[in-house]
Amino acid sequence: MAERKEFKNKRFQILSEKPVNRHTYLKDWPEVGITAHDGVNDPKPSIKIENGLVVEMDGTRREDFDMIERFVADYFIDPEQAEKSMTMDSTAIAKMLVDICVPREEIIQIAKGFTPAKFKEVVTQLDECEIMMGIHKLRARKRPGNQCHCTNEPDNPVQMAADCAEARLRGFDEAEATTGVAPIAPLNSVALLVGGQVPNVGLLCQNAVEEAVELQLGMRGLTTYAETVSVYGTERVFADGDDTPWSKMFLASAYASRGLKLRFTSGSGSEVQMGAAEGKSMLYHEIKCIMLTRGAGVQGLQNGAVSCNGIAMSVAGGVNSVHMENLVTAMCDLENASSNDQIFSPSDLRRAARTFPLMWAGTDFIFSGYGCMPNYDNMFAGANFDSNDYDDYLVIQRDLVVDGGLRPVTEEEVTAVRNRAARAIQAVYREMGWPEITDEEVEAATYANGSRDMPPRDIRADLDAAREMMKQRVTGVDIIRALAKTGFEDIAERILKMQIHKIAGDFLHTSAIITPENKVLAAVNNLNDYQGPGTGYRLQFYPERWNEIKSIPQESSPEDYE
Amino acid sequence: MDAKNIEQIVKEVMKSMNNQGAPAQGNPGAKLTRRDFPLLEKRPELLRSRSGLGLNEINLDKVVKGEINAEDLTIHPETLEMHAQICEDMGRNQMAASFRRAAELTAVPDERILEIYDQLRPYRCTKQELLDIAEELETKYSAKMNAELVREAAEVYEQREMLR
Amino acid sequence: MQISQEMVQQIVSQVLAEMKAAPPQPSVSAVLAAEGKLTLRDKGVAQKGTNAKEVVIGVAPAFGKNLHYTIKKLPHDQILREIMAGIEEEGCTARIVRITRTGDLGHIGNRAAKLSGSGIGIGLQSKGTIVIHQKDLFPLTNLELFPLSPILTLEKYRAIGRNAAKYAKGENPTPVPVKLDETVLPLYQPIAVLLHNKEVLDIVHRGDDIELEAQFKE
Repeated sequence: MAERKEFKNKRFQILSEKPVNRHTYLKDWPEVGITAHDGVNDPKPSIKIENGLVVEMDGTRREDFDMIERFVADYFIDPEQAEKSMTMDSTAIAKMLVDICVPREEIIQIAKGFTPAKFKEVVTQLDECEIMMGIHKLRARKRPGNQCHCTNEPDNPVQMAADCAEARLRGFDEAEATTGVAPIAPLNSVALLVGGQVPNVGLLCQNAVEEAVELQLGMRGLTTYAETVSVYGTERVFADGDDTPWSKMFLASAYASRGLKLRFTSGSGSEVQMGAAEGKSMLYHEIKCIMLTRGAGVQGLQNGAVSCNGIAMSVAGGVNSVHMENLVTAMCDLENASSNDQIFSPSDLRRAARTFPLMWAGTDFIFSGYGCMPNYDNMFAGANFDSNDYDDYLVIQRDLVVDGGLRPVTEEEVTAVRNRAARAIQAVYREMGWPEITDEEVEAATYANGSRDMPPRDIRADLDAAREMMKQRVTGVDIIRALAKTGFEDIAERILKMQIHKIAGDFLHTSAIITPENKVLAAVNNLNDYQGPGTGYRLQFYPERWNEIKSIPQESSPEDYE
Repeated sequence: MDAKNIEQIVKEVMKSMNNQGAPAQGNPGAKLTRRDFPLLEKRPELLRSRSGLGLNEINLDKVVKGEINAEDLTIHPETLEMHAQICEDMGRNQMAASFRRAAELTAVPDERILEIYDQLRPYRCTKQELLDIAEELETKYSAKMNAELVREAAEVYEQREMLR
Repeated sequence: MQISQEMVQQIVSQVLAEMKAAPPQPSVSAVLAAEGKLTLRDKGVAQKGTNAKEVVIGVAPAFGKNLHYTIKKLPHDQILREIMAGIEEEGCTARIVRITRTGDLGHIGNRAAKLSGSGIGIGLQSKGTIVIHQKDLFPLTNLELFPLSPILTLEKYRAIGRNAAKYAKGENPTPVPVKLDETVLPLYQPIAVLLHNKEVLDIVHRGDDIELEAQFKE
C-alpha cells in the first residue's frame, strides 16, 4: 500500500497516520468538471418556449441540444409551469423549501417548471441544515426505510441466503445483490429470493448486474425490483454506459410491463470519472439525471454520488453538494434511495458526518446499500456501513429517537432465521439438481459472520449450474415448487405472495415497500405530510415502534441485580 | 390494444362493479384515484392476472400441481391502466405514460423485448432498422406509444450520430 | 507509491499543461513507451482474425502512447509482456489492437473480442484496469472483470492472460482470485479520475481499431 509521508513534528506524524488521511483529496479542477457545483461551463438559468416547445434552455438553443438536454426539455419541463417558475426569485423559492408553512405539493408543482440551472441556483443557496430540513419535508414516503447490500466474496449461496434472512429480520425493506463473477448472477438471485422471505413476507430483492441480464432475471420471477439502471448527465458518458435516454425509457416500461418495480441510478462524479464532464460541475450533471429519471416516467432514483462517493467527497463541499442532489430528487417527487453506500473514507467521523444528517432527515431508503455482511465480503468494493456497525447504528437510533429503519435483534432469533434460510436453500439446490449444499455448510452459515467462516465451495460447479438454469428457463415458480415439495411451504407461500404483488402492481408506485404484514406502503397511501411539529412521521405517534427501537438487548435493569 | 381501449375496458369493468361498495365509486366510469390505492386491499375485485385468473383462484396448491405457471403470475394491461390513472391523480403524468407504454408491452414476448431494448442501445441499428421495429410494434402488437418512442429515437440518433 | 497532496497537485498541473498543449498527432505511427522499453507500431486498421487460438488484447486510446504507467506505477511494457506471456504459456497467440473510439473498459474488451479469431478478448486501460471479454456478451458484462487495478500485480496480469487463453481454447477456468481490499478505493478512486481524464484526450471520434506491433527492449 501507499507509503506515508514522514514528518519531523510528532503531532503531524500522528495526524498523518489517522484514517482521515487514507482518502485522496483533490483540488478543484473546474476546467474538466472536478468541482462540486462550480464548473467553468455551468450555465445560468434561462428558458424560451414557443408553441409549447422549449426552444432554449439554460442558454443553449434547441438546435444545439445534446440528447440529454433534448430529453429533459421535452419530457421533464412542464411548459405552462415553466413560464411561472422560471420568473420566480431563486432565493424566495429556496426559502419556501425550508418554510414549514409551505406544503410539499406546492414545491413539487413549482419544480415541474425548472431547468437544470434553476434547480442548481435554488438548492445551492441552502446550507447543510436547510438541505436536511428540505429533505425532511419533501421526501416522498412518510415512513423512512432502508436497503442493504447482500453479497459475499466467493458468491457462496448458503451464506447469502442466511445473510439475507437476517437482514430482513433486522428491518431492511430491500436487499441488493451483485456478483463476484458475473455469470453466477441467477444463483445469487435465488439465494435472496429464498432467504429474504424466511422471517416474514415483503423483502424486495434485486441483483445489480448488466442492464439486459437484470431485466431477464426479473422476467423469470427471480427478483422483484431493479435499481442498477444507470443514467448519466452527458451524451458521451450515456453512450459509454451503452444506453440512451430512449433505450432507458423503453427499459423502464418493460419492467413495469412485467410488474417489476424500478428505480434508476445516477450520482455526482460519474461523468468526470468517465472523463467527459465538459467542464460542468458534478451537481449540474446530476440534476439532469434526476430530471431525466422523472421524464422517463420512473418512480424513483438511487443517487448521492453512489459508486462515485470517493470522487465527489474528494473535493471541497463534496458531501454538502451530494446532499443537495438528494434534495433535488425529493423536489422532483421521486423516491430517493440516498446512497450512503460505497465506502469513501475509513474515517469513522467522516462516514458519520456524511451519513447521519440523512438519517435524521429521513429518506425513502437512507442507505442504498448498508452492508449486511462484513466489508471484506462486499462486492460493491466495500460499504460505508457494514455489519460491524449494526450496534452503533441501533444505539444511535435510540439516542436520538430516530427511526433509521433497523430494529434490535437477539442471537436466538438470528440463529433461527439463518439456519432456516440455509436449510431452505439446501433443499432447493437438492430439488433442482444443483451442486450439493452439505450439512456442514448449513451449520457454518448459521453461525458465520462472513465467508471466512465458510467451508470452500467449487465455484465452477455452481457456475455450470447457473448457466444451465438460464438455458432451462428456471423461474421463480420452479423455486416455489421446490420449496413446497421439501417442507418449506411457508417460505413458498411468501414468495407466491410476492408474485401476486406483481399482478396487483401496487408496489410499482412511488417509494413503495411491502411491510411484514404484507401491506404496500407508498407515497400514495403513505405520502409524506410533514408540516412542522406535530405532523409527519415521528416516533411519538408510533409507540410500538419506539418501544422496539429503544429496547436494545444490552440494556440493564434493576431486576438484573436482584 | 391501445390506451383508449384499455381505458374503455376499465370503465366497463368498473361499471359492472358499481354496486359493491368500493371506496372511489360514485360515478360509474370514473377514473381511479389515490383513494383506491392499494388495489390489492381496496379493489381486489378489479385485479386479475395476465392470463385472466382472479386473485382468489391463485394458491400454492395449484402452483405445486402445475396448474398455475410463471406466465400466469404477470400483470394485466388493464391493471397498468388503473395504476396510470392513480398516477395522474397524484400529478405524476410521466409515470402514467410509462405505465401505459407498459400496458402495450405486456403483449410483446420477453425475448423480443430484450432484443428491442438491445437494438435501442447506441450504435446498434440503422435508421431503417429502427423504423422497422417501430412498424412491428405498431402493427403486430398495437403498441402505438412504444412505436412513437422508437421513431423519435431513430430521429434523435440520426441527428446525434448514434446509428450503426 | 506515495499519494500525497503534492503528488496530486503535480498530476493535476501536468495534465492541465498537456491539455493546453496542442492535441496529439493522430498520424503518429510509433510511440515510445516507458523509458523506451516498449514500442507500439501502428500497422493499419485491424481486421477480424481467423486464428481460433488467438486472444486479442484491446488497449485504451492512450496506452503506451501518452500514458506509460498504471495507477500503481507498473510500466505498461511490463504488464503487456506479462499478459502476452500468460496467453502464450497456454499455447495461444496474442494480438494487440488499439481501440481509439472509446476509453470505456467494457466496450474496449468487447471490441477486442469481436476482432479475435477465438472470440475472446482482453480490454486494458492505461490505469491498469482489465477485463476478459467474449464477443457474444453485452459490452458491459464480462467473463472476468478486475475493477480495482491498484491491487493487481504482474503475476495477476499473467494469470489473467492465461485464463483468457483457456477461455479461447473452450475451457472453463477458475476465475483469477482477487482479494478485496476496501482501503484501496478511497485512496485511488480520485487518482483514477485524473488518469482517465487524461486517457480520453486521445479518443478519436468514431475512430478505427488499429493493429499494433509491440517491440520490447531489454
